[in-house]
Amino acid sequence: MSPSSAPVSEVPAYNPRNYLNSPATGLRSWLTTRDHKRIGVMFLVATTFFFAVGGLFAMLIRIELLTPGPTIVDAMTYNRLFTLHGVVMIFLFMIPAIPSGFGNFLLPIMLGARDVAFPRLNLLSFYVYLLGATIALWGMIHGGADTGWTFYTPYSTQTVTKVVPILLGAFILGFSSILTGLNFIVTTHTLRAPGMTWTRMPLFIWSIYATSVIQILATPVLGMTLLLVAIENAFGWGIFDPARGGDPVLFQHFFWFYSHPAVYIMVLPAMAVISEVVCTFSHKNIFGYNAVAYSSLGIAFVGFFTWGHHLFTSGQSAFDAGIFGVLSMFVGIFTAIKVFNWTATLYKGSISFKTPFAYFVGFLFFLVFGGMTGIALATVSLDVHWQDTYFVVAHFHFIMVGATIMAFLAALHYWFPKITGRTYPEGWGLVGATLVILGFNFTFIPQFLLGNEGMPRRYYAYPERFWPLNVASTAGASVLAFGLVLILVYLLVSLRSGPVAGPNPWHSRGFEWFVPSPPPPENWEVTPVITHPPHDYHHAGEAPPGGVEPEPRHAS
Amino acid sequence: MAEQEPIARAEQELEHHAHAGRYALVWIALLVLTVTTYLAARAPLPGGWHVAVALVIATAKGSLVVLFFMHLWDQRGANRLVFATSLVFVALLVGLTLLDNATRFPLANPPGSAGALPAGGANREPAPEAPR
Repeated sequence: MSPSSAPVSEVPAYNPRNYLNSPATGLRSWLTTRDHKRIGVMFLVATTFFFAVGGLFAMLIRIELLTPGPTIVDAMTYNRLFTLHGVVMIFLFMIPAIPSGFGNFLLPIMLGARDVAFPRLNLLSFYVYLLGATIALWGMIHGGADTGWTFYTPYSTQTVTKVVPILLGAFILGFSSILTGLNFIVTTHTLRAPGMTWTRMPLFIWSIYATSVIQILATPVLGMTLLLVAIENAFGWGIFDPARGGDPVLFQHFFWFYSHPAVYIMVLPAMAVISEVVCTFSHKNIFGYNAVAYSSLGIAFVGFFTWGHHLFTSGQSAFDAGIFGVLSMFVGIFTAIKVFNWTATLYKGSISFKTPFAYFVGFLFFLVFGGMTGIALATVSLDVHWQDTYFVVAHFHFIMVGATIMAFLAALHYWFPKITGRTYPEGWGLVGATLVILGFNFTFIPQFLLGNEGMPRRYYAYPERFWPLNVASTAGASVLAFGLVLILVYLLVSLRSGPVAGPNPWHSRGFEWFVPSPPPPENWEVTPVITHPPHDYHHAGEAPPGGVEPEPRHAS
Repeated sequence: MAEQEPIARAEQELEHHAHAGRYALVWIALLVLTVTTYLAARAPLPGGWHVAVALVIATAKGSLVVLFFMHLWDQRGANRLVFATSLVFVALLVGLTLLDNATRFPLANPPGSAGALPAGGANREPAPEAPR
C-alpha cells in the first residue's frame, strides 16, 4: 500500500510519453498549450506562489500583533497588510486553487474526455487570471489599499490609497473564474464518456459542477459592485456614500451576495477533494452517494440565501436579519449530510492512514468546529456580541481557510503521484500534516477566545490583557508557517528525485487512477465505457468500469 | 461527443429561419420601452414607485434581448432552466435588499429615499424644556 510500491505487469511505472514532455517540452509549448493538464499545473504553480505571498503578509500581521503597541510596522502599513493578506488569499489563492488547478487537471480525465469543452477559453482563463493578478500586484506595490478585503463603503470610496487598481484586478479575476466555471459546466454536460450517467460521475465532479454554477451566477454581481465602488472613488458619484445620497448598506448587500456564495466557491471544491480521499483511503464506496452529490447542489443553492448574516449590525432591518438568520442555518443541514456520510464511509472501511487521510481528519475537525461556530454566529442575538471581533476572524479561518487548506494539501499529496509520476516521502508528509494542523489550531483557537473577550478585528493596538493570547496566536502561526515551508521543500525535492510512483500507488478505484502516471496528452488511449460508479471496491478483483484495464495501457 | 454536432446544426438552422421582421419588431419595442422609461421617470408617481417601474421596464427590455436577439426563444431544456434560475437569483437579490430598505430603522436609510425620515427629521417632537 505504500505509494512507492511498484506496479504490476509490463506497464512502465513512469509513463514515458506524458503531458509533461509531449508534444514538446519548451516554455513556448507550455505558454501556448491547450492541454487542460498543463493549464491546471500552471494554475497550481501560480496559486501556490500567491499562497506564499498571502502567507508572508499573514506572518507580518502576526508579528506586528506580538506586542500591544507598535512592533515592526506603522498603523497605515498594518492596515495595508491585512487588506493585501485578504485580497491575495481569497481572490488569488483560495477561489482558483482547487477548481482551476486540480479541477482543470482532473475533471476531463474523470469524465473520460480528452480535454475540456473549450480548450482555448481555458487558456484564456489562465491569462485573464495573470492579468488580474498583475494589476492587483501593481496596486499593492504602488501603495496598496487599507480598506480590508471587503472594500466597505463609504471608506473605500474616500481612501487615498490605491484601491482602484486592486478593485480592477479583482474585477478581472472574476472573469477568469466565470470562464473556468462555464468550461466545466459545458464539459460535464457534453463530454461525459459513454455509460457515465449523472449518478456514475465521481463526487469530485458533482462538487466542482456546483462550484461552477455559483461562479457563473454570483461573480457578475461582484464585478458590478467593484465597478460601482471604483466609479464612486474615481468620479465621486453618490451610489454608496451617504454624504452624496448613497447607501453604504446597499454596498454590503451587493458585496455579500457574491462573497457569501464565494465561501462555497472555496469550500465546495474542498469537499470535492475530500469525497475522493475518503473513499480511496477507506477502500470503500462512499456511503450515500446521492445524498453527498445532491447536497453539493443544495449548498450551492442555499448559499445564495444567506448573505444578510454579514449585515446583522450594519443597519440592516431587524426583520431582514431574522429571515437571514434562519436561512443561514439551512447550510448547516447540507454540510451535516456530507459530514455524516463521510464518517459513515469510514465505518468498516480498511483505513490507510497516509498523509492525505491525515488532512481529511484535519478537514473534518475544522469543518465541524468552524461550522458549529457559524451556527452560533447566525443567531442574531449572539452575533451582536461577536460581530467584528476576532471570534468572527477565527470562525471564517476555521471553516473557509482551514477546510480549504486541508483539502488543498490533501489533494496535493493524493494526486502528486498522478500529476508528477513520483511520490513524496510519507514520513515527512505526516510530520508536515501534524505541524500544519496543530499550528492552525494554535493560531486560531486563541483568536476565538480573544474575540469572545471583545478584541475587535483589524485593530493595530490592543490593551495589555489581550497580550498573552496574541502571543499564543503568533506562536501557532509560526508553527503553521514552518510546517508549510517543510511541505514545500520536500515536494520540490520529490519533483526531481522522488521515487517513481506507478500508475495507481494508492490502489484507488477512482477513474483518474486508471490512466498512466503522468497521464498521456490524450488522457485515455481509447474512450472508456463506464459501467460502474467510481470507487466500486466491491468489484476490486474485476476490471474497472467499462472494460478499462486494471493497469492502464500506455500510449507508447 | 459526436451526437452534439447534429444538435448544433439544428440550432443553427433555426437561427437562420428567424425572420428579419421579428428583429425589427423587437427593436421597435425596445425603443418604445426606452421612451416609456424616460416618461415614467418624469411622471408624478408616489413614493418608491419610480424605481419599481424602471426595474419592470428594464427587466422587460432585458428579456426581449435575451429571448430574441440571443435566441433563447428557440432553445429548450437546460438553457431555459438556466435563464429561469438566473431570474430567481435576480429577484432574490433585489427582493431581499428592498425588503431591508422597507423595514429598516428609518434613520438608517439614506436621506431622501423612500424609507427615510423627511429632511431634518421634521416629524420629530421638539425636546421638552428642562425644568428650571
